[in-house]
Amino acid sequence: MAEDNIKMAIKDLDVYYYERLVLKKVNMVFRNRELTAIVGPSGCGKSTLLMALTRLLDTVPHARVEGSVELRSNDQGWLNVFRLGETDLPSLRRRVGLIFQHPNVLNTSIFKNVAFPLRLLGLSRQEIDSNVRAALIDVFLWDEVRDRLDSPASELSGGQQQRLCLARTLVLQPEILLLDEPTSFLDEDLAGKIENLLIRLKEERTVVVVSHYNDQVLRLSDRVYRLAGNQQESN
Amino acid sequence: MKLLSHRVLLAFFWLTGFLTLASVGSLLIFLFVKGVPSLSLQLIFGGADPFRALLLRERVFDGLFPAIVGTTAVVVLSVSWAIPVGIAAGIYLAEFSGQNLKKIFNFSFDILAATPSIVIGLFGLTVAIFLHQHFSDRIYPCLLTSSVALAVLVLPYIVRTTQLSIDAVPHSMRAAGLSLGASKLQNLYHVLLPSSLSGILSGVILALGRAAEDTAVIMLTGVVATAGIPGSLLAKYEALPFYIYYISSQYTDQKELMTGFGAALILLTICASLFVAAHLLKNLLVHRLRKK
Repeated sequence: MAEDNIKMAIKDLDVYYYERLVLKKVNMVFRNRELTAIVGPSGCGKSTLLMALTRLLDTVPHARVEGSVELRSNDQGWLNVFRLGETDLPSLRRRVGLIFQHPNVLNTSIFKNVAFPLRLLGLSRQEIDSNVRAALIDVFLWDEVRDRLDSPASELSGGQQQRLCLARTLVLQPEILLLDEPTSFLDEDLAGKIENLLIRLKEERTVVVVSHYNDQVLRLSDRVYRLAGNQQESN
Repeated sequence: MKLLSHRVLLAFFWLTGFLTLASVGSLLIFLFVKGVPSLSLQLIFGGADPFRALLLRERVFDGLFPAIVGTTAVVVLSVSWAIPVGIAAGIYLAEFSGQNLKKIFNFSFDILAATPSIVIGLFGLTVAIFLHQHFSDRIYPCLLTSSVALAVLVLPYIVRTTQLSIDAVPHSMRAAGLSLGASKLQNLYHVLLPSSLSGILSGVILALGRAAEDTAVIMLTGVVATAGIPGSLLAKYEALPFYIYYISSQYTDQKELMTGFGAALILLTICASLFVAAHLLKNLLVHRLRKK
């Protein structure tokens, strides 16, 4: 694989909570039009790693990172994620979308949850409507919620909330999509559909999936990184 | 043994809950029994015509009407000063200050919350004297100095409840807005404040009650026994807590003492009305923000 295909490069990343080292010397690259899987036992720092890549660890008191995470920018230069100022972070998080393991819907309606990132961008009502609809169709949720878009999102089931969160990130069309256990709340049929969606998404962007389902990883991924303890074990 | 200790503990909790309710209940019953017989238009408006007095066309000399207006004015004014400063400080402490600065601020607000109200009253009086000597000889202890001193008194309640309510928003919710490209301010406005508004407004309600009941602060900063309805912020004023204190310590006969109970019942009604208004406002705002 040619080096110019690399979208994000993690170099010697260490993450600390207080003085405890929770991730040690992580080195990974995520390539364009590839699906990379990160596997490892519970508590090995997979979710922490995804939070670090989007600088969301900044919001966790006493968390600290060392090393570098570089993101290829549009003009073919490299952007050190850890050197970005506070005002550049919204743009980073729109380019690198993160979907959390546990659905975290906002305290508002189904429609407004998906429309939220688009409203921040100042899109017109018409553009928001069509984008929300397309995203909900993509995650196979449209038919289930089309008649109750104004209902609170918290009334949806766990699986529906997980797909809503996926739709909410997809509307931003991020260049890199980081998904933390994206099918953990879904039944087999829906999990299969979401896997197909991920395969489709990787045709045009970089997809990174944290998963503990070995068969899912084997089916989907072009590259696998394994974390064990607090260290990267192999790739 | 385990079952027994569980039952004993449960009985203790039940008893403490019951005692709390019983003490509030007996206080209210006592106040109603003593206060209701003395309630009359005469108590509120004295010899003045109630309608003309309400329209401020006739001055009330021997009724509680000026004290009712004075109490409402001083409470509303003090909370109006304290709300913007308190909420802004609470937001700053929850979202923007560094850990060390937060510790210093929290320690300072805790000290302020624990300061006896008479000390804050003395501070208000000193400020009034300072302003009188150095800025304008028209400034004396007045409605303005009372309301500012009361605002200082209730400020820690608003700061702390705002800070704690924002801190209590789950990290997953906080991260949701940020992960979707919201800036820190956008996240605050669209995610954190709607989620914590209910708690913040509960702090405001607490502050309303604290401002309404305090006597020590206003005694030193502008309240008097007879002043009529205050015509400006620089005027002296009457207030129900001071009237109750004054009557209960200076009464000459039983009838006069009973008017103190009537005044207490009216004060309770004003507080309850302000609580209800604040609750309605809270529900309206929470509903509006969730709909946004």
